[in-house]
Amino acid sequence: MPQTKSVKRTTRTESSTYLNEAIAIWFRDMRSEFRTRYALNAILMFAVTTLIAVSFAIGSFRIDESERPFLYAVLLWIILTFSALSGLSRSFVKEEEAGTIDVLKLSARPQAVFLGKLLFNLSLLGALGVVIVPTFILLMAYQINFPVFFTTMIITGCLGLGAGTTIIAAMIARASGRGALFSVLSLPLLLPLMITCIKGCERAAIGYDSAGWPEVKIAVAYVIIMITMSLFLFSLVWEE
Amino acid sequence: MVQKILLTIWMAVIIVAAFLYTEAAVGFPGQTSRILFFHVPQSWVATLSFLVSMAASVVYLAKRKLKADHVAQSAAELGFLFCILATVTGSIFAKATWGSFWNWDPRETSIVILLTIYGAYFALRSAISDPDRCRVLAAVYSILAFVTVPFLVFVVPRITASLHPENTMNPANPGMDPRTLTVFLGSLFAYTALYLWMLRLRIRILNLESLKVRDLFRGRGGGNPKTENEQPRMKGGRAQ
Amino acid sequence: MFTLRVSDIGKHYGETLLFRNISFELHKGDVLAITGWNGAGKSTLLRILAGLVRPSAGAVEMFFNGKPVEKESRRRFIGMVAPAFSLYDELTGLENMEFFATVRGLSDGGDHCLDTLHRVGLSDHAGKTCRDYSSGMKQRLKLAQALLHEPPLLLLDEPGSNLDSRGITIVEEIIAEQRTLGVTVIASNEKREADYADRVFNLSE
Repeated sequence: MPQTKSVKRTTRTESSTYLNEAIAIWFRDMRSEFRTRYALNAILMFAVTTLIAVSFAIGSFRIDESERPFLYAVLLWIILTFSALSGLSRSFVKEEEAGTIDVLKLSARPQAVFLGKLLFNLSLLGALGVVIVPTFILLMAYQINFPVFFTTMIITGCLGLGAGTTIIAAMIARASGRGALFSVLSLPLLLPLMITCIKGCERAAIGYDSAGWPEVKIAVAYVIIMITMSLFLFSLVWEE
Repeated sequence: MVQKILLTIWMAVIIVAAFLYTEAAVGFPGQTSRILFFHVPQSWVATLSFLVSMAASVVYLAKRKLKADHVAQSAAELGFLFCILATVTGSIFAKATWGSFWNWDPRETSIVILLTIYGAYFALRSAISDPDRCRVLAAVYSILAFVTVPFLVFVVPRITASLHPENTMNPANPGMDPRTLTVFLGSLFAYTALYLWMLRLRIRILNLESLKVRDLFRGRGGGNPKTENEQPRMKGGRAQ
Repeated sequence: MFTLRVSDIGKHYGETLLFRNISFELHKGDVLAITGWNGAGKSTLLRILAGLVRPSAGAVEMFFNGKPVEKESRRRFIGMVAPAFSLYDELTGLENMEFFATVRGLSDGGDHCLDTLHRVGLSDHAGKTCRDYSSGMKQRLKLAQALLHEPPLLLLDEPGSNLDSRGITIVEEIIAEQRTLGVTVIASNEKREADYADRVFNLSE
């Protein structure tokens, strides 16, 4: 048996930062997700089936040209939001169900856990956006006159979806009826974001030069505020 | 007791005055403007209650005093009640004035989002079985929900105003002749007093209910575990 | 020098009282066993010491070299094993250890992880996914995870569960070694495990 190293280790100041620890948690979640693809499948299947239903029911010609920018924006954001809600609670719920959450609580700092899980959720949302948005545009023949604005709106909107729901996922991880509860709790918080993103996408589609991109600014403000508040409040949620 | 009687008389006076003492406002069909004596104070109370609940939540998280949670819960319950009342009376007014029960003008949207926030709050409270954790999570949610309110105040009017330009009539300022103003302010006062009275009652009920648990915890039973080397510690001089 | 001081700890869930007025103080070299009937609250008490559960009353204080240890820093001083704990099934034993080393901010990484795995007798299985571990191997991995950062406070909830005789010897060695590092608290119903301790606390009295 090797010689035990001295106690010095635990008292030496650790040079690790929140970011290092958060990235470790993020990568572990990604590795786990890569091997099981549970959350990703849930999100993508939801999105694809909804998209197919919508496309089939509405088609590309049934809606009047003048109505399309707005209605398509609405449909797109409904699909994105509800797909997100079907999978973003996964990382916390899985830890709780597998029983790994206690060891994580003992080992990691709360803010690092939040950041790590947030990064994981954003990765899922990134995958969702990359797959669904172009498919939607193609299937519905969505005419986008301002693609740069549109893309920026989608990206900030997805950031917002992650920022607004990660702490809620931690809150419901142990609750009864957690699937429905996650949606019920998240939607009131996401409504302002959704309204903004729908408006922004509509304007991008029309080609209206929304001077200064106010919708993007609002979405970015939402992201910053939600992440800041979550960082403050997360340790209360994380510790019993 | 006296307060109850005074309040009843005052409210009765307001109701009578609303119909007999004031003239129906010009610009509104028939007698519909009279509902504003009731609808506006109700939505005022609903919003005020949300603020009270959030403030009490902050106090609870900081100090962990049970009474703060009772205030937060009572304020949420009453806020929910008045929010429903405000939505219903607003809807009746909308039907009478604009011909349809629901129009999504800025105020209607805000009150409905407030309703969903309250609903989510109660869904959360009933889903968590551990009472302490329930209080903490409810307080956290209350704060998060409050943070999204500025977005509603800024975002919703910008978005919906451009969609439904005809609904910019602001029901908060009915053409105020002196009589109308008096009755309106009187009603505002009456509703606030009613709210505060109900709030105090509800808080008292919750406080009394929690005494049961506190007495159990400080009462007989439970043990004073002894170790081989230590004397048993006595609490408050109670003998084992 | 590490000190653990527990003052008037109590816990109730809603209207159910678990325990109250628990007080004791432990110094380096002490081993305390907590015993009691099922449901007496042994595991809950350990979780309170670990900081996983908030007590309804009282306080848990820790001192290192005379200075109090703040709650945010306690993760460096505590290692815990419990039946309810699990490690990540889809990772290997070594990957689990490396993950916890990184998350705890330990910079020595790889070698120390392997050493700790060797100490609990898992060297040969370090590369296997935890899903393929037996329950005894999982228990050993939990021990390894608790020892990784050499904590002054070791909390062992039923440490011998699922272990064969060799595993139990390893636990005994760990407890013996922990006497030179700091404090051990064991929660158990087994007489053999309670016998490792100098002092016994019975929650059911």
